[in-house]
Amino acid sequence: MNALIWLVPVAVALGGVFVGLFLLAVRGGQFDDLDDPPRRMLQDDD
Amino acid sequence: MSKRSAEAGRCPHCGAAVEGGVDTFCCTGCETAWEIIRGAGLQRYYQEREAFAPRPEQDRGGWDTLPVTEEADGTCSVRLQVDGLRCASCVWVTEHVLQRADGVQEAHVSYATGRARLRWDPGVTALPALAQTIHALGYRPRLLGEESRPDRTLLVRLGVATFVAMNVMLLSASLYAGWFSGMEDRFRQLFHWTSLALATPVALWCAAPFFAGAWSGLRRGFLHMDLPISLAVVILYGHGVAVTILGRGDAYLDSLTMLVALLLAGRVLEGHGRRRAAEAATSLAATLPATGRRFTEGGGMETVPSGELLPGDRIAVGAGEEFPADGVVVAGRGTVRTALVTGESRPAALEAGQRVFGATLLVDGALEVQVTEAAEASTVSRMADGLRNAADQEARPTSADRIAPWFTAATLLVATATLLGWGILVGWGQALTATVAVLVVACPCALALSRPLAAAAGLGAAARRGLLLRNADALLELAAVDRVALDKTGTVTAGAMEVLEAHDATLRVAAGLERFSGHPVARAIVREAVDRGIPLPRARGVRERAGIGIEGRVDGAAWRLESGGPGVVHLVDEGECCTAIRLGDRIREDAAEVVSTLEALAGPVLLMTGDDTTVAERVAAEAGIQSWESGMSPEQKAERVRSLQAGGGTVLFAGDGLNDGPALAQADVGVAMSTGSASSILVAHGVVGSSSLSALVGGVRAARAAAKVIRVNQLRSIAYNVVAVGLAAAGWINPLVAAILMPVSSLVVVASAARVEARVRREEGRLLEAQSGRADHRGSASRYGGVGVAPGTAGALPGSTAILPGNEAA
Repeated sequence: MNALIWLVPVAVALGGVFVGLFLLAVRGGQFDDLDDPPRRMLQDDD
Repeated sequence: MSKRSAEAGRCPHCGAAVEGGVDTFCCTGCETAWEIIRGAGLQRYYQEREAFAPRPEQDRGGWDTLPVTEEADGTCSVRLQVDGLRCASCVWVTEHVLQRADGVQEAHVSYATGRARLRWDPGVTALPALAQTIHALGYRPRLLGEESRPDRTLLVRLGVATFVAMNVMLLSASLYAGWFSGMEDRFRQLFHWTSLALATPVALWCAAPFFAGAWSGLRRGFLHMDLPISLAVVILYGHGVAVTILGRGDAYLDSLTMLVALLLAGRVLEGHGRRRAAEAATSLAATLPATGRRFTEGGGMETVPSGELLPGDRIAVGAGEEFPADGVVVAGRGTVRTALVTGESRPAALEAGQRVFGATLLVDGALEVQVTEAAEASTVSRMADGLRNAADQEARPTSADRIAPWFTAATLLVATATLLGWGILVGWGQALTATVAVLVVACPCALALSRPLAAAAGLGAAARRGLLLRNADALLELAAVDRVALDKTGTVTAGAMEVLEAHDATLRVAAGLERFSGHPVARAIVREAVDRGIPLPRARGVRERAGIGIEGRVDGAAWRLESGGPGVVHLVDEGECCTAIRLGDRIREDAAEVVSTLEALAGPVLLMTGDDTTVAERVAAEAGIQSWESGMSPEQKAERVRSLQAGGGTVLFAGDGLNDGPALAQADVGVAMSTGSASSILVAHGVVGSSSLSALVGGVRAARAAAKVIRVNQLRSIAYNVVAVGLAAAGWINPLVAAILMPVSSLVVVASAARVEARVRREEGRLLEAQSGRADHRGSASRYGGVGVAPGTAGALPGSTAILPGNEAA
């Protein structure tokens, strides 16, 4: 059970990495327009 | 929807009837557009489109002096609103033609809003060339100002809070397990400290919008719903810190983080819906043309950006041009179309001394105008500013806020009673535990969520039916409407000139003569001929004489088209023999049905008009409106709305003109027509985005459904709070029970908000059953056929209607 002492922080830190990725995605404008891409998807392009 | 591909006797591009076989074009404009599309290898457009293309008009130019943004890598970029896009294929073809143009590095046209983003290499191409390409395809680009940046911070806050909530939940679950199976103190410490470390940014940063809301409410003297929320967050966090440091008791940090995450989710959804409505409204606002022609001191003429025109400057405006500034006519005559500002669809004659508004259209004639206002002070610019400001106004007290003070007071009262009761009767240690439990479960999470979620779903449902409402307040007012007042011109009627009566043969010759004229009468005649499937003949030697009429030769004979009094045009042949075409403003197709449904749904309907009695009587009779009032001034309309309100009514008023402004503002819900003046859109609470009046019916139904869901949810959450607070005061609540109860109550609220759309559909279905056999006239018919929005998607406003604004038949 002693492994928990370092496993919990590591797990949280790992989760933190994904929060960071989410932050990058938001900054990159991935969530700015949620209405156009779903329509665009239906236009089968060349 | 049927595909619109080539057939004999129709122009392959715009679908107008022509004399000839396959591939005969009605005009050179269509032929050019067709060649551009073929040249770019995009002929698939003609197989896939769902509507015929608009007929290309001449580009008015002036793009060379527009401000473009220069990017760091040397490219230029610009944001445009493209008007006239009719279906998804229109967007597709515009985007691809631009992408394949030389020097274009990025071209993106939004299917949802018709906004375009262009980036190009200034060494290879320039904006005028790109704008002309869009024009040549038949669409009308307009420059858009700065983009309102969506609030990304809120989304980050939500992301962080959700991440933390999940992790703290996991740690808390271990702690709860520890109650039953025992747990070493050092692990308990580890879990508590980790939870606290995670919860700290949530309480201090993620919850900041609630603190801000509570504070701004307090400053303006009312207790906002954010206040009890902030109170709960502060108390929970303070308690969590104390428990962790002391190493005794239960922290409730899982409840805290879950609470903040859920509330932020509600906020994000609400903000999304509001931004969409605001964007749609801004898209409708007009902009000044790019340039104006100014007289120089030496008597010459120079073309300058309209932003550089100053009061006192003399400018020249020719037929077919938009005024680049507000001003006064100095010399010349002409006919002006001011629908944009006044909502009046009929062109009016202009002469020296009269005022003109920037961005309105000079239909014919030529004028010299003295500028009275600089560009940023012009009427249209001020309208656009007003729209933007209205979009991000501060929150007003809502029905939830009316509950908030009682809620807070009751909670504090019960908490004090619990503290004292337990303290005196049992002991202060247990008193503190019970009091914290009361404050935790009393957090109005479900109550605070009930409104934004259901409102977002309701706004989405209304917008899918063609009614774009400014905010949740307007939606809830709309739900309470029990009196309806309608303006006549442009609301009950279509507001555009249409041919009421004409023989096919007369119409054919007239349409041939008027084919290339931009005058509203000419457009009405050509449109009617196209609708009747009459092939347009080729006219020769056409001469348009301002204020008199038009003449030319068709089929070898000379014809003259001239005014024959109000609403009548005479076609005169060589022998001075004349036949008449009667024109007028026709009642909307669905008006009668909408009126009868509204009467059943929202109470008596009143028709108000500035027109004379005979017209009002005719329109009222056709639309099935029992009571009507005519000859009303704008103030009288507002006064009438006020008297309806004084009688205890909640009034819905729909109108379209500048003259409807006071009444729109006075009404509890003022709805403007998107084809109306920008000023009416500015003061209105909502806009009918489609060309169909049935949006009003759909809007009322959506509002009713949302209001019902909100009411039920508020009752539910209050009942939950009463029960839970009772249990907590009795000392029966521990962190585990709180962690289960609170999210469950919130999820019930979320689930029922998703049912708003289903409720509206059920209502509509009931109506359809009742009138079985009648056609479905819902305004929601998606222009994209099937590319709809999933039912119940809270906050998802519809693109299909958002694209309609600015989409008049060209």
